[in-house]
Amino acid sequence: MSHVRLDALSKVYGSNAPAVDDLTLTVERGEFLALLGPSGCGKTTTLRMIAGLVPPTGGTITVGGADVTSLPPYRRNMGLVFQNYALFPHMSVADNIAFGLEMRNLPRSEQTSRIAEALAMVRLEGYEKRRPRELSGGQQQRVALARALVIRPDVLLLDECLSNLDAKLREQMRIEIREIQRRLGITAIFVTHDQVEALTMCDRVALMDRGRLAQVGTPEDVYERPANRFVANFVGRINVMRGEANGASLAVAGAPVAVANAPRTQGTVDVMVRPHRMTIRPEDVAAAAGENRVSGTIGRIVYIGDVIQVAVDTPAGPLVAERTTTGPDWHTLAVGQRVAVAWSAADTLVFPPEAR
Amino acid sequence: MSLLRRPGMLWLALPATAVLLFTYVAPMFGLARMSFNRTLPGGAMQPDWTLATYAEMAADSFNLELTLNSIQLSFTATTFALLLAYPVSLFLFRTESRFRSLLAIIAIGPLLVNGVVRVFGWIAVLGDRGLVNSALLALGLVSEPVRLIYNWTGVTIGLTESLLPYMVLALLAGFGRLDREVEAAAMSLGARPWRVFVRVTLPLSLPAIVLGWLICFILAMSAFVTPKLLGGGRVFVLATQVFEEAVDTVNWPLAAALSVYMLVLLLLFLGAYGALTRRVER
Repeated sequence: MSHVRLDALSKVYGSNAPAVDDLTLTVERGEFLALLGPSGCGKTTTLRMIAGLVPPTGGTITVGGADVTSLPPYRRNMGLVFQNYALFPHMSVADNIAFGLEMRNLPRSEQTSRIAEALAMVRLEGYEKRRPRELSGGQQQRVALARALVIRPDVLLLDECLSNLDAKLREQMRIEIREIQRRLGITAIFVTHDQVEALTMCDRVALMDRGRLAQVGTPEDVYERPANRFVANFVGRINVMRGEANGASLAVAGAPVAVANAPRTQGTVDVMVRPHRMTIRPEDVAAAAGENRVSGTIGRIVYIGDVIQVAVDTPAGPLVAERTTTGPDWHTLAVGQRVAVAWSAADTLVFPPEAR
Repeated sequence: MSLLRRPGMLWLALPATAVLLFTYVAPMFGLARMSFNRTLPGGAMQPDWTLATYAEMAADSFNLELTLNSIQLSFTATTFALLLAYPVSLFLFRTESRFRSLLAIIAIGPLLVNGVVRVFGWIAVLGDRGLVNSALLALGLVSEPVRLIYNWTGVTIGLTESLLPYMVLALLAGFGRLDREVEAAAMSLGARPWRVFVRVTLPLSLPAIVLGWLICFILAMSAFVTPKLLGGGRVFVLATQVFEEAVDTVNWPLAAALSVYMLVLLLLFLGAYGALTRRVER
C-alpha cells in the first residue's frame, strides 16, 4: 500500500496561475522519490504542503492511511531538511538535534543515546558542543539531516538540500543520503532542480512543469521514454530537429527517418535525439541498415574531458554529437570536416511541437 | 573592521569627527570646566579650580533621591515601551504587505511631532476632563476623575509613548538574525507556536531587545520635556534638576556638575551593560 498519497492537491495564491495544480501522486513505503522540475514549477510548494507549512487550497494528503491535510506541522512527525539548513544558530549541535526529542518529552537518558546515534550516523561524533556557524556547509548539512532523522519521522522531506554545496561534496552527500535512507528504510521525498541528483539518488522521479505533473517513473523511464517534450528537454541534453510526420512515416529535411515507435500525428513534429546517442561517421561510408543519418560540416568541437561535443551543421539544423575520449581516434576530427551524423531508430523521440 | 585597517578609509570618518568635535566634545569640555568654577553668594560665577560644587552635590541627599527617581522612571518607561513595541516591530519586520513602508512610517510617525506638542496632547487625553476620565465617568466606573497627569503615572505614560518610535526602530534594526525558515524548522520538529516563540524567536531577537532597551534607557534618563511638563512640578528627576539649577537658580557650576554626574552615571551603566551582554552571548 502506498505510504504517502497526494490526491488532487492544489495551491493557488490569490488570482495567480496555480502554483500546484491538481497533483495526484503516491509514494511507496521506503521509497525515495524525487520531485524534479525547473524553479517555479511548484515542487517546493508541494513539499511544504506535505510538511504542513503551506495550507493547500484543494485536495488531500494522506500518510500511512491517515488524512493529515488539516494537521499543523508540529503534529505531522515529518523530518524536514531545508535548503539553507535552518539550524538554530543560538544552539549547539547537540541542542539542535535534541530539539525535536525535547518537544516529544523524551527522557534525558534516551535523548542522549539518540543524539549520539544520530551524530554517528552522519559521522559527526565529537562535534556536539560546536555552534552551527563554526561548521562547514557540508557539516551543517549533516547536522540538519541528523536533526530531521533523530525524531524517527514518518517521512523524510528534503528541500534542495544539496544545492548550496560545492560539486565534490554534493556528489559525496548524494551517496551518503541515499545510504542512510536505504539503511533506515524511510520514505523520502527529495525536491531538486538538478536532474543528475534526481536520477542518481531516487527510486522514482516525478517531474513537475508549471504546477502539474509531467511524468512519474523510474530514472530510466523518464530518461529513455520521456512522456512529452518537456520531460525530454528537461532531463539530460537533447538535440531538437523539425520533422514532418505523415501517418507512419517521418521525414527530417526531406530525408526519411526511421522511428521505433511511429508517431500517430500528422504535420510538423519535433524529432529529438540525445547527443551521446549520435555518432560521427565518415561521410563516404554507407549507412548501416535501420540507421538514420544526415551529413554536415563540423562547426565546433568542445573538449570536456571524458567526452568531446561535436557540433555539426546539417540540413536538419545544428546537431551536437558526443563521443568519449577513450582511444586516440577522436583526435582525427577537425572543424570544417565533412561528416555524417548517425543514430538508431530506437533513440529517436518524436513529440508534437511546443504549443507556445 | 577590515575597512578601518585600510588607512585610506579613515578619511571617510573625518567630516563627522570634525562636526562632533566642535558641537559635542568641545562643549562637553566647557561644561566640565564650568563645574570646577566657584559660585559667589550673589549667584555670580567666578573662574576657579575647586571641587566645592561636587562636595555640595554629594552632601545633598536629595541628589541621591533624584538619581533613584531617574533610574526607576527610565527603567519602567523603557520596559513598558519594549513590551508595547516588540509585537508591533515583529509584525512590521515580517509583514509582506505592500503597505509595509507606510505602516513603518506610521509607527515612527510620532517623531515628526514636536515633543512639547505631544505632551500637550497627553494633557488633553489624560487630564481631569480629558478623554480617559470622561469615558470612565460616563461609564460609571469611577465617581471622580482619576489623577493621570502631574504625577509619576502621567510622566511614565508620556515617556513610554515618546520612547516607542525609537524602540520600534532599534528592534527593527536588531531583528537581523530572525529567520522564518528556522522557525518553520522548529515547528516541523514538533514545537507548538508558543514554544517556537520561547525557544527560537525570543532568543534570536535578544540582540534587538538589548539594543532597543539600552538606547531607550539612555533617552529616558536624559528626557526633560516630558517629566517637566507632565510632572506639573511634582516629579523630580536629574534632568529637570539640571534645568532648574541652570535657569531658575542660575547656579551654573552646580548645573554643570550635575550634568557631568549624569554623564558618568550613564557611562558606568553602559559599561556594566556591555559586560553583561558579552557574558550572555557567550
